[in-house]
Amino acid sequence: MILVVAEQLDGRLNRASWEAIAAAQQTGGPVKVVVLGAQAGAVAADLAAADVAEVLVAEHPSLERYTADGYVLALAQIAGAEQPELVALPHTYQTRDFAPKLAARLDRALITDCIGVRPHDGGRVFVRAMFQGKLYADVLPAGPAPHIVTFQIGAYRADAVARGSSAAPTRALSLTIDASAVRQKPEAPFKEAKQAVDLSQAERIVAVGRGIKGQEHLAVAEKLAAALGAELAASRPICDAGWLPMDRQVGSSGQTVAPKLYVALGISGAIQHLVGMKGSSTIVAINKDPDAPMFEVADYGIVGDLFEIVPALTKALNG
Amino acid sequence: MKIAVCVKQVVSREWHLRVADSKTWIRDQDASYELNEPDAYALEEGLRLKEKHGGEVIVVSAGPARVSQVIREALARGADRAIHVEVEGLVDADAFVTAEALAAALSDERCDLVLTGLQSDDSGFAQTGVLLAEKLGMPHGTIIMDVQVADGGLRVKRELEGGWFQWIAMPLPALLAIQSGINQLRYATLKGIMAAKKKDVKKIAAPSVAPRQQILNLYFPEKKKATQLISGSPAEAARELVRRLRDEARVIQ
Amino acid sequence: MIEILALWLLLLIFGGSFVAQVARRVRLVAAAPNNFSLDLLGFRIRRFVTDVVFQRKTIVERPFVGLAHAFVFWGFVAFAGFTATEFLKGLGIVDLTGTAWFHAYRLALAPFAVAALAGIVFLVIRRGIVRPVALGTHVSIESIVIGLFIAILMVTFLLDFRLEEGTPAARVNWWAHACVILAFLSLIPASKHLHLVLSPVTVFLKSPVLGTVPNLDFEKEEVGTEAIKDLKSKQVLDALTCVECGRCQVNCPAWESDKALNPKTLILQTKDALLAGSRDAKMVDVFDPGVLWQCTTCGACENQCPVGIEHLPLIIGARRGLVSNGEAPDYLGNVYNHMERRGNIWGLGYDQRQKFVESAGLEIFAAAKHEWLIWLGCAGAFEADFQKSLRSLFAILSAHGVRFGVLAKERCTGDVAKRTGNEYLFQELATQNIADLKAAGVTKILTSCPHCLKTIGDDYRRFGYEVQVVHSAVMVAELTRALRATDIESEVVTFHDPCYLGRYAGRTGEPRELLGRFGGELTEPARNRENPFCCGAGGGLLFEEKEKGTRISDVRFGQLRATGAGTIVTACPFCSIMLKGSQASAQSEIQVVDLMTFVNGRLQRMPGRTPGSP
Repeated sequence: MILVVAEQLDGRLNRASWEAIAAAQQTGGPVKVVVLGAQAGAVAADLAAADVAEVLVAEHPSLERYTADGYVLALAQIAGAEQPELVALPHTYQTRDFAPKLAARLDRALITDCIGVRPHDGGRVFVRAMFQGKLYADVLPAGPAPHIVTFQIGAYRADAVARGSSAAPTRALSLTIDASAVRQKPEAPFKEAKQAVDLSQAERIVAVGRGIKGQEHLAVAEKLAAALGAELAASRPICDAGWLPMDRQVGSSGQTVAPKLYVALGISGAIQHLVGMKGSSTIVAINKDPDAPMFEVADYGIVGDLFEIVPALTKALNG
Repeated sequence: MKIAVCVKQVVSREWHLRVADSKTWIRDQDASYELNEPDAYALEEGLRLKEKHGGEVIVVSAGPARVSQVIREALARGADRAIHVEVEGLVDADAFVTAEALAAALSDERCDLVLTGLQSDDSGFAQTGVLLAEKLGMPHGTIIMDVQVADGGLRVKRELEGGWFQWIAMPLPALLAIQSGINQLRYATLKGIMAAKKKDVKKIAAPSVAPRQQILNLYFPEKKKATQLISGSPAEAARELVRRLRDEARVIQ
Repeated sequence: MIEILALWLLLLIFGGSFVAQVARRVRLVAAAPNNFSLDLLGFRIRRFVTDVVFQRKTIVERPFVGLAHAFVFWGFVAFAGFTATEFLKGLGIVDLTGTAWFHAYRLALAPFAVAALAGIVFLVIRRGIVRPVALGTHVSIESIVIGLFIAILMVTFLLDFRLEEGTPAARVNWWAHACVILAFLSLIPASKHLHLVLSPVTVFLKSPVLGTVPNLDFEKEEVGTEAIKDLKSKQVLDALTCVECGRCQVNCPAWESDKALNPKTLILQTKDALLAGSRDAKMVDVFDPGVLWQCTTCGACENQCPVGIEHLPLIIGARRGLVSNGEAPDYLGNVYNHMERRGNIWGLGYDQRQKFVESAGLEIFAAAKHEWLIWLGCAGAFEADFQKSLRSLFAILSAHGVRFGVLAKERCTGDVAKRTGNEYLFQELATQNIADLKAAGVTKILTSCPHCLKTIGDDYRRFGYEVQVVHSAVMVAELTRALRATDIESEVVTFHDPCYLGRYAGRTGEPRELLGRFGGELTEPARNRENPFCCGAGGGLLFEEKEKGTRISDVRFGQLRATGAGTIVTACPFCSIMLKGSQASAQSEIQVVDLMTFVNGRLQRMPGRTPGSP
C-alpha cells in the first residue's frame, strides 16, 4: 500500500497533493491518503473523490500549525500503524522541511524530487534529475520498507488523478504527541506588504522592450500580464524613457530575476538584459526580428508582430 | 556563538559532463571543482552572524583530499577554522552517508548553530542538512531567509510557496538550511587568502555507514534544449503557445 | 664689497631655503619603495627630446598656450648660463662678463627674452583674466606673482641693454633682477613651479607604456596602496611634479559627465597628504573612495599629462588597497564571482561558447596546422552581436587563406579584475591562461577585443610570457591592402576609437584605412584618434548601472551623433555594447556597427566578387 501525504493550509489543499496521488496511482497497488493539521477534515471530502482505498485524517492540537517536529512525530506513528511499503509526498517546500527528518527518525531510505517510477527486478526504481537537470538517474532504494519518495512538482499532472466511482471511506486517526517535544514555535504565515515592486520574487514576468514602440501601447502588455498573473517588467530603454519606473527594469544591478515564466515582448536581448533574466525556467520570446539574440535563449519563440500576437495570446489565455 | 557551516565541493558547472564507464557517476578525472553555491550563502550568513554576535565559524566538509580547495576558500572568506572528514570515497555518496560523516565531525564540538545550504548542485538531494539535524538531535528550519538571535534561541524567517513567509522560534542549538540569494556573497580578499594559509584544519576519519540508495544508471535525457519556434497565424501561434506552456513546460494551469 | 656680502647673505637665505625644501621633497621620494625603471632607454631618450626639449605635448594639445609656455621654457634654459655667470661675478668668485663670448651670448639671448616676455604676458592674461576651466575656479595668486617675476626678469634683462654699465640705474636694475631670482628660487619648491626642477626627471622616468601597473608580489604580502606610505617612489614624484594645468581633468570622461572624479584633484590631494607628513593616512581618507570607482581607466589623464604623471597606477593601486580589504562596490563582487566560478564576466555557461564555436565551424587550435590563435574573449563567447562581427572576421580570414583556430577552453583574460584592483583574481586567471597558451604552442594571437589585446599583449608580459598579439583591424587592413576597390557605394560614417585600441595601442590609422578602402566617408567626432572620449565601459564600469551624473556612454553617443553620420563604426565589444545601449535609450535610428561587420559586408557586395573570395 502506498501512503500519500497530502498537504493543506487553512483548509485549502495544495494542488501538488493531487500530483502525488496521481503518481501513486500510476506506480501501482492500493493507495491511501493521509492529511494532517487543523482543518484536515475540511479537505477530506475532496480527497475522497479520488480512486483511493481510504482517506486518513490526522488532527491534533500539536498539529495546529505545521512544524517539522510535530509532523514527524505524527507520521512516524502513522507509518508504524498503517505499515505502508511506500510513503509518497509532493516535493513542496514543506515536504523538504520534514521528509528527511522522518526518514532519519524511521531510519529508512528517502528518494527526493522524482520525475518517474519504473518497475525493476520485481521491485521499483525511481528516476530523478541530477546535475541541475542535465542528467537523469535511476535510483534504487536500499533497506527495509517503508521507503519514502517525494515527487517533483509538475512531474505528474494533477488532472491525471483517477476518480473513484464512489467516495472513499474516511477515518479519523488518534495520535499521541508530546507537545514539549515540538521545539519549533511558528507564528502565522504572512504575505509581505508590497512596498515596491520586487521582480526577483515574481513567479511570472511579462517584459517589454523597444518593440512596444510607445508608452501608449503598454496596455497590450499589461493585459497579457493580467491574464498570466504576471508582473510587468522592461528593458533599460523603456525605463530610461520613463515609460515604466526603474524598479521594473530587468538587468540592472540587483534586479536579476528567475521566474518560472518570462515572456519577452519586443526585446532584442542585449547582453545586460540577458544576464538579468537567464535564470528563468521557461522563456518565451516574441519579436519581429528573427535574429534577435533573445531567440537564442528562449524555449519558445514566435517571430512576428507583437501587436497581433500578444492580443491573440491574451485571448487564448482568458478564453 | 559557535557556528558550524557545512560545505560541499562539487564539480564546476562549467565541467563538460560525461557519464563514467561504470554508468553510476560522471567522469570526473581532472575535473574542475568549486564550492557548492547554496553552501556559499550558508557560509555568508554564518560570517554575518559571527560579525554581529561574536564567536567563531567552523567550516566542515567531507570528501577526498581535493576538498581542501573549498575549505581554504571558506577560510579565506573569513571562517576561523575547519574540520575535514577525509575519505577517498563519498564522492557519489547518498545524503545519509554524508550526514553521518558530518555528524561525526560535529559530535564533540557543541556548536550553537549549524548552517547548511539547501541542496547541492550535483546530487540535489536536499536532505543532508535535515538528516544532520536529526542525527545531532537539533531542531531545524529550512529555506531560511533571515536569522535573529535572542536569549538562547532563534527567530527565523522561513520562505513558503507563493510569496508567503513565516517566522518560527526555536531554541538553540539548532540547524538551519539557508535559502540561496538572500545576501550578497563576499569574495575572498587578498588578505583573507593570505590569512587562510595559517588557519587550522583538523582531519578526522569518516564512520563506515551503509548507503540508503544506489544509482543503477546515470544517463542523458533524450530531449535537448533548443528553441521551439511556433509558426502560423497570430491566433494559431498564440493557441499553440498556450498549449505548450500548459502541457509541456507546465508553467500555467 | 658690501654688495658681494649682501648677495652671499641673500643667496644663503633664499638659496638655502630652496635647497632645504627640495631636499625635503627628495627625501619623500627616497623614503618610498623604489620603482624607478630605465627600461626601453632609447624610447625614453627620444621622448625626452620631443616632449621636454621640444615641448611637443604642450604645443600639440593647446597650440598657443603650448607655444607661449615653450618660449618661457626655452628662455629659462637659455638663461641658465647667463644667470650663473652673473652670480659668479656678484658673489666675487670670478668675473667672466667681460669676455667676448659672454657679449655674444647676451645678444643671442635677447630674442629669447622677447619671446619669453611675450609668452608670459599671454599666459598671465589667460590665467588672470580669461580664466579657463582647466585652471580651476580661483586664480592662483602665487602663479600671477611668479608670472610677474618672470616678466620682471625679462624686462630687467632687456632694459640692461639700454642702461650704461656702472650707473646707479644699471646697478638697481641688476639688483632687481638678482632679488627676483632669489625670491623666485625660494618660491619654486613650495609651489607647482617645482615642475621646473622635477618634470624633466618625471617625464624621463615615466613608463613607455600607458597604464603600467606591475603585479603585486604575494610572497611579500603586498596588497596594494592602502596608505600614503605604500605609494611607490614614482607615485610620490608624480604627486610633487603636478603643474596643475588641468589637462587631465578636462579630458577625463567622468569629470566631463558631471561626476566627482577629477584626476587633477586626486594628484593634488596625494601631494598635500605627502607634504603634511601623513605617512599612515589611509588613501580612503585622502580621497573619497567613491570617486575611485568612477574611473574607466581610459588613460586620457595619463596620456595628456605633459609632466610625466602616471595617474593609472595611483588609481588602480588605491583600488587594490580597497579590494584587498573587501571594499569593492557590490556590483563588482558579482562580477568577481562570475569570473572566478564561470571564467567569464557574465557568469554564463560554457556550453554557450561551445555552441558558437560549433556553429561558426571553428577549428580547435593545433600548432602544426594553424598560424594564428583567435582569442574570442568573453564577448566573443557570449555576446550575440559581437559574435556576428567575429563571423565576419572569420570569413575575411578564410578568404585570404589565413590558418587559424581557437582554444578548446578560454577563460577571461582578467582585464576587469586587473583594472578594478582584484589582483589575486587577475593573477589566477593569467597564470592559468598562460599555461594553456603555452601548452597549445601558441605564438601569434589575433583578437577583436582591445582589452584582451592590452591584457595578453602587455600585462601578461610581467609573468614572463611574450607573445605577438594583433588586433583584427590591423590584420585585416594588412590583408586587404592590395585590394583596389572599385564601384563601392560610399556612405558617411564616423569611427569611435576604442580607448584601448586608439590610446593604449596607438592603432588609429588602420581602422580609418579600412573604412576609406571600403567606401566609408569619414567624419570625425570631437575627440578622436589617440584622444578619444571613452564609451564608459572600462574599469569595471560596464557593470555599474547606477551611474551618477550623465552617462558617459550617452555623452559619447551625443558626440558621435553630432557628426551627422548615419553609421557609427567601432572596433571593441565593450564600446559596441555601450553605444548600442545609448542608441536604444536615445531612441535613435543611427546604426552602430563593428568594423569587421562593415568591412565584410562591403567585401561581399563588391561587384565581380564571389562572396567569401579574396
